[in-house]
Parts: sequence; structure tokens; C-alpha cells
Amino acid sequence: MFTIALPKGRLVDKVCKLFEASGLDCGGVQTDDRRLVAYSADGSIRYLQVKPSDVAIYVERGAADVGICGKDTLLEGENDVYELLDLGFGKCRMCVAAPVGFREDLTAPLRVATKYPGIAKAYYAGKSREIDIIKLNGSIELAPILGLSDVIVDLVETGTTLKQNNLEVTETVLSISARLIANKASMKFKTAEIERLTQALRKEGASV
Amino acid sequence: MAPTESKRNQLLTRLRTLYEGLGYTRFSMRRFEEYGLYLENKSFLKSENVLTFTNPDGKLMALKPDVTLSIVKHARKERQGIERVYYQESVYSYSALSREVAEIEQMGIEAMGDVDGYVVSEVVRLAVESLSIIGLPYVLDISHMGFTAGLLLSAGLTPEQQAETLSLIRRKSAHELEAYLQSQRVDPDSAERIIQLTRLAGPFAQVFSAALALSANEQTDTALAELKAVFDTLEAAGAADELRLDLSMLNELDYYNGIVFQGYVQGAPRAVLSGGRYDLLMRRFGKEADGIGFAVYLDELSRSLSDHRALDADVLVLYHDEDDISQLHQAVFKLAAQNLRVITRKGEIAPELKVGKTMCFENGTLKEDR
Repeated sequence: MFTIALPKGRLVDKVCKLFEASGLDCGGVQTDDRRLVAYSADGSIRYLQVKPSDVAIYVERGAADVGICGKDTLLEGENDVYELLDLGFGKCRMCVAAPVGFREDLTAPLRVATKYPGIAKAYYAGKSREIDIIKLNGSIELAPILGLSDVIVDLVETGTTLKQNNLEVTETVLSISARLIANKASMKFKTAEIERLTQALRKEGASV
Repeated sequence: MAPTESKRNQLLTRLRTLYEGLGYTRFSMRRFEEYGLYLENKSFLKSENVLTFTNPDGKLMALKPDVTLSIVKHARKERQGIERVYYQESVYSYSALSREVAEIEQMGIEAMGDVDGYVVSEVVRLAVESLSIIGLPYVLDISHMGFTAGLLLSAGLTPEQQAETLSLIRRKSAHELEAYLQSQRVDPDSAERIIQLTRLAGPFAQVFSAALALSANEQTDTALAELKAVFDTLEAAGAADELRLDLSMLNELDYYNGIVFQGYVQGAPRAVLSGGRYDLLMRRFGKEADGIGFAVYLDELSRSLSDHRALDADVLVLYHDEDDISQLHQAVFKLAAQNLRVITRKGEIAPELKVGKTMCFENGTLKEDR
């Protein structure tokens, strides 16, 4: 049995399309699927649908042999896995955003609201800027509006949410896309399966 | 079901026997060391979360997170003969997530002194034997720090670039490596060799020729020759079937300089054995001698070695107050002598127990229930 962890949500349809194009049976995994586990028709592949930020943990701990997740969750989790491919979809940017017209007060620590404390910390440490991290789990855009924070560090896809809340991107931290990751032990014991998958996805990756 | 020693103790005994059989003697040590030892060698440690406390003299002490550093500190200074030791010790780490202290048992060996080709082959062979004793399908990945160091040298990378490059190689992240080396203006030929490192993994005999093609200088040639020598020795001894060459597998460049290896067993998601040649670590402690060794991570094996059984007992014997104690006693011990696990209980039922079968003691004999 070969287990693949997929990120529940917006990426699932794209991943399945890519898998089908690569000749893998996705076992009818769909975005609106309530089943957490699905099997390919011949039963050789098991698909798990888990929270995107959990994919890397499933793979690191060997509950899944490979997984697909965003670079953002990989950087944040610092999981001990192999990162085999950049799949080239699910593209967005990790950005710093602030209220339109924001002027930074350099005499005080910058208050940063984010879902990604690890990434934010590393980014500002690289600039030697002292910050105060406010870890939130959602509606990050609200923080600067209420004065809870000065800026936010978050994923930006189209920028619509920012605009609606009168925020704008001030800096780009890094570019994000979906990655194929693999468990280190699986890589030794299921080498052929993982290599086949990597090859197939590499071939199809560019066209999706 | 035989009343056996726990799987874990069996493994420990067999590993000890293996190491003692080749002249390794037990090394015991205190639970703590001065914190400075770990502070100076932070990147040698598996985890940076060291547990500290202050002793009455105001000295900062640490519960030891690692054994090798303590052994190396006590090793002989001269490069003469071989000092062979093994250890079975607790190491301590702190999990930031659970805010708990973890005590982990580690077993391992170190060979220090005049490390020659034979000693290297002996230690790698012992790593293979240790994995095979665990009794599950296994592989031993083997690599050479000199090969990587040689490639990085010929690419002319700065220490900062080296650190980033190494971390990308370890993740087998060819796409990121390509982008990074390009952004750092590394010449395309050197960059390509480094990128190929991430793809170079597989059964030793199959992959070795591809590795030869990547060799860039004298240092990388020497590294490959050393790897080949170990492989040939183990192959001739029939112990190389599970040996894989994986040149992306790296330890810290500051400490390890020669052959490095990592063992995996099926069912454990992370490496269960890790080691290599650490002459540079010896130098840091002012020793002339060379060193090579490995540790077996018993915590990574805990699930594979679990004695957890599906049943509380094979037989549940139910009896009553009025039963003849002497007859009951004999009946119970007779069952136990048949290698069955028996639990006795006064009364009619024991719903919380999961047992193979239930027997009732009636009129001096055991009868199967229902």
C-alpha cells in the first residue's frame, strides 16, 4: 500500500487533475468529498485528505509516504522530509502588508500579526529588525485595522482581501507553490513507487 | 505464548554481545556535564534543546543530550592503537511543543585512535549487524563527507553558501538547489554536479558508476575510493546486500570528514541508526587520534519493539469462595506451565479484561465457559 497525503481544500482538484493526467487513478477524490480516506480502483494507492498545514507532519511521521503541500507550511513546520518537486501550481506570495499609507516607527519593535510566526521571525531576523509577533489563526487582516498590530505577514494570491480591508503589500517575503514531499524511510523502502510518481508528475507538472 | 524477556531487552542484550565480541568495552558516565561542552558544539547535537541547571558553585550544568561528546572528551590524546568503547546511556532532551523533558535510551559504539581501513570496515559492519539484529527489513545508507566537501570546494562556495547548499542537498530539493546556485552565480558545471548529488541514491553497486562520473577533483576521487573499499570488503563478507549509496546524506561538515552512514528499518519513519567518521571533532578536543562510531536510537524503535499484546491474558479462570484452594492452585499453575498467560478472578465475570478464553473452576476441575 502506497499512501499519499493531499491538502484538503483549494488544491485538491488541481492535484487530482495532475494525477489523472499522469496516469494515476485518484479514486474519485473530490473537493466536496467528506471521506477522509479514498482508494485507487486497484487498491494499491490510498489517498488521505488532511488539513494543508498537517500534510508535512503526516509525511514526516510516516503516516503517509508522500504528500503535496505548500512551501509555506514546509518552511513554517521545518519538517524533516525530502522535498522532491516544485509542482508549479498553487502559486502565491508570502507578503508583508500594512494599512495604506503606513509609516513604520523605527524606534519601537514592529508588531506583526501572522499565521506564520516561524517565517515572520526568520524574515525579520534576516533584516535585524526587532518584532513583536502576534500569532493569529485567521482573519489576519483585521489586526492592523484595529491597531492590534502594525503589519501582517500572510499569503497573498490576488490581493482582493487586502484591498477590501484598505491594506497594501509593502514587501514580498518569498514566492510559494505546491511541493511534492516524501518520508525519508519510505524513500528507501518504496523507492520505485516514489520515483515513478516523481517522474510522472515532473512530466505533467509544466502543463497544468 | 512463551513468557519471554521483552523484545527491547533482548535487543539490548544481543547488541551488547555483538559489541563485546569485537573488543568494545562498556563506557559509563555521569548524567550531566558542564553546559559549555554543548554550547561550543551546538551543531553536533541532534537537537538544540539542552536541559540546564545550576550547581551549588554557580556553574551551569546540562543533563547530557549526547554521549559521543563526553566519550571524545575522555579519549586518549595520542593516535596510537584503537580505543574501543560502547555505551548504553540515557540522554535528555526538551520538547518545546509538549513542554516536557524526554529521557531517551541510546546505545552506540566509538572506535578512537589510529583508524585505518580495517577499523572503518569493522564499524560499518557492526552497523549492518546492529540493524539486522532488530529483525526487520533494513537498509544502511552510506556516504562520504569528503565527496561533498570536494564538490563544494571546486564550486568555490563561501561558508554561508555552503550551509544553504548543504541543507538543500539534505532535502533532495533539486529544484531549489538549481535556483539557489544560479542566483549565487555558481558556474553551471559545478552547479550541475551538486544538483546531481540529490538524485544519486540506490543500491551501491548500481549507483557507484554514476558517482564516479560526478567526481571533480582529488578529494572526491579519494572519497569514492574509500567508499568502494568498504563496500568491497563487506560484499566479500556477504554483508553488503542492504548497503545503499546516498551521496545526499550528510552530517555536519565541521565534525565529520569521512564515511558517514544512516540506518533505516521498515516501519520506523526516521533513521534508527546514525554515525560516521569524526576526526574533526577529535581535533576540536585537542586529540591527535581519529574517531568513528554510531548510535542506535532506541526511541525511534519503540513502536517496532513494543510488547503490547491484543489480549490481557490467554486464559481467565473464574472461581468462588467455596472452591478448594489447593485444587485451584494446582490447576492454575498447570495452565501456566503450558506457557499460557493466566489471570484468576473471584466471581462470575470480568468484563474489563480481554482474554483468549474464560474457564470456570467447578467441583475441583476447570470447565470451559460457554
